[in-house]
Amino acid sequence: MKLAAHYNKASIIITLSVLIIGGLIYYYAIRYIATNQLDRDLTEEIDEVKDYINLHGQLPKQVDFDEDQTNFTPTNLKTIPRRFFDTTYYNDKEKRAEAGRAVEGIITFNKINYKVTISESKESTEYLIQLVLLITVLLVVILLTVLFITNRLILKGLWKPFYKLLLQLQAFDISNQAEMTINQTKVDEFNELNTVIQQMTKKAKTDFQYVKSFTENASHEMMTPLAVVTSKLDTLIQDEGLNAKQLTQITNIYSYINRLSRLNQSLLLLVKIDNNLIKDEELIDLKVALLDKIQQFNELIQGKNLKLTTHFEDKSIYVSKYLVDILLNNLFSNAIKHNYEGGVIDIELMYNELIIKNTGEKLPLMHENLFARFYKGKQSEGTGLGLTLVKNICDHYKYRLSYHYFNDKHEMIISF
Amino acid sequence: MKLLIIEDEKDLSENIESYLTGEGNICESCYDLKSAMDKVAMYQYDCVLLDIGLPDGEGFTILNYLKANHKNDGVLILSARNSIDDRVMGLNNGADDYLVKPFHLSELKARVEAIYRRKTFNGDKFLHYEQITIDLISKEVIVNNLPIDLTRKEYALLLYLIANKGKRISRNAIAEHLWGDEIDMADNFDFIYTHVKNLRKKLFDVTKKDFIKSVYGVGYKFL
Repeated sequence: MKLAAHYNKASIIITLSVLIIGGLIYYYAIRYIATNQLDRDLTEEIDEVKDYINLHGQLPKQVDFDEDQTNFTPTNLKTIPRRFFDTTYYNDKEKRAEAGRAVEGIITFNKINYKVTISESKESTEYLIQLVLLITVLLVVILLTVLFITNRLILKGLWKPFYKLLLQLQAFDISNQAEMTINQTKVDEFNELNTVIQQMTKKAKTDFQYVKSFTENASHEMMTPLAVVTSKLDTLIQDEGLNAKQLTQITNIYSYINRLSRLNQSLLLLVKIDNNLIKDEELIDLKVALLDKIQQFNELIQGKNLKLTTHFEDKSIYVSKYLVDILLNNLFSNAIKHNYEGGVIDIELMYNELIIKNTGEKLPLMHENLFARFYKGKQSEGTGLGLTLVKNICDHYKYRLSYHYFNDKHEMIISF
Repeated sequence: MKLLIIEDEKDLSENIESYLTGEGNICESCYDLKSAMDKVAMYQYDCVLLDIGLPDGEGFTILNYLKANHKNDGVLILSARNSIDDRVMGLNNGADDYLVKPFHLSELKARVEAIYRRKTFNGDKFLHYEQITIDLISKEVIVNNLPIDLTRKEYALLLYLIANKGKRISRNAIAEHLWGDEIDMADNFDFIYTHVKNLRKKLFDVTKKDFIKSVYGVGYKFL
């Protein structure tokens, strides 16, 4: 739910409850005042009746007291407390019962005590209350509508810088060295937010650059000690005194040095691609490049008795020869390495796609981690950077790299 | 050959020197740019092994100096940086080859020999080793006046072995030489075994001599 909606929800609930409670209080207050007024009228009526009796010496007739209905009932009671109560008023003219208010009291006439009841119609008062209520409800509705609309408009305007910032943050690219430009707004809070975000992104970028240059320097620095170790081993194996067991150990060390050095090279390359440092683009005929690679990997393909099928259409791309070489090396290596003896490799080059399919473990690879750095299968002896490199190279040239597992084949698809 | 090793990492420099010295090769070492400049200014070398990152400057300075003074020393750059820019810059400035650290000494020797052959035997396109003659241009191998048919990989292997004759060469070094270190297959020694076996047999068939000796556990030695 959007912030505005949250705000509207809260404001509507509060406004409505305040208005309902207020309305109820209002209603009862008006009613109370109106009833009081009626009671006062009725008191006056009783006084008028008394006056009439004193003046005329007889009980008043019905017509003498216009709308009011007066009843005289002889009673033995000496006194009854004056009492006001709600009753039903029968309107003679309109022939219908209406809500009414009545008063009763004692009047003495010719030494006889009469209980006098005067009732009056409440109709007009009720009508008034209803009218007042109606107006109130109408006001509430108008108020709510106006509030809702203005809130929306005001909020929308107020939050504009926020959404703008959000867009900028979505487009934020940590490897882009250009600083983020953020517009000033009239709202202090947003300005604060902008400043903080600007500082944060700046710091993130500096840190990122730092980490990258660190990776680069560290990798370079590692190469020389590796060279020393390799040269020492090369010298060591010349020693005739070493037995086969010791030499086998040395061979193992060689393999690990090789792995370390390849790992380093891959890391460096990733940094370079990230930094956009490889720019020797030229027009490469992919068909030729693929045929070269097949030639290069020929022995490895034959060594595993893999059946290679190809379908090539003409396709040239404008890329770095070096990067294409690395891309194809990795894809070919994977297709061969993760294949089984006597398996299949299909290579299809079409105008918009390059697909490399291979048989292998009969289980699809985990999708989300596939292109992550240092993610590799349990049996893989690689550096764990191969597919990351492929992915980064594809990203670099805005190609889409996808993976599918279909018909027992692992498919790597590059869409140009 | 007369070689100059300009490399500030003394351990590396010593190992290179001990591996390359012998069979009529003389090596000199220096560890910084200043003394290296003095050496190249005074003497002529068949090949200069040049580290780019020196404590008191870039190795490119030496390269520029040699070029500016029309000196004909061969130059093999040794660099910790595997960057295309450095490679292109080195080769454009007159270096003969570019080797990225870490490297095998056998690879280094093969490269140095190749540079030396190019520099010295300008007219001679033949490489001789006992009864084996190799035509470096047409890549033909002739033994006792009979051409023998080698595959591309076997030919490369033969040159590599001859360059490192008498030394034990690790299978890892051979794998990296034949496939390059960009291919993540270097540990696949079955292929090395196949190539060595085939080459050995082809040579043996015509010479009745076993040139390649297996060194159990590590690799081979060419005799």
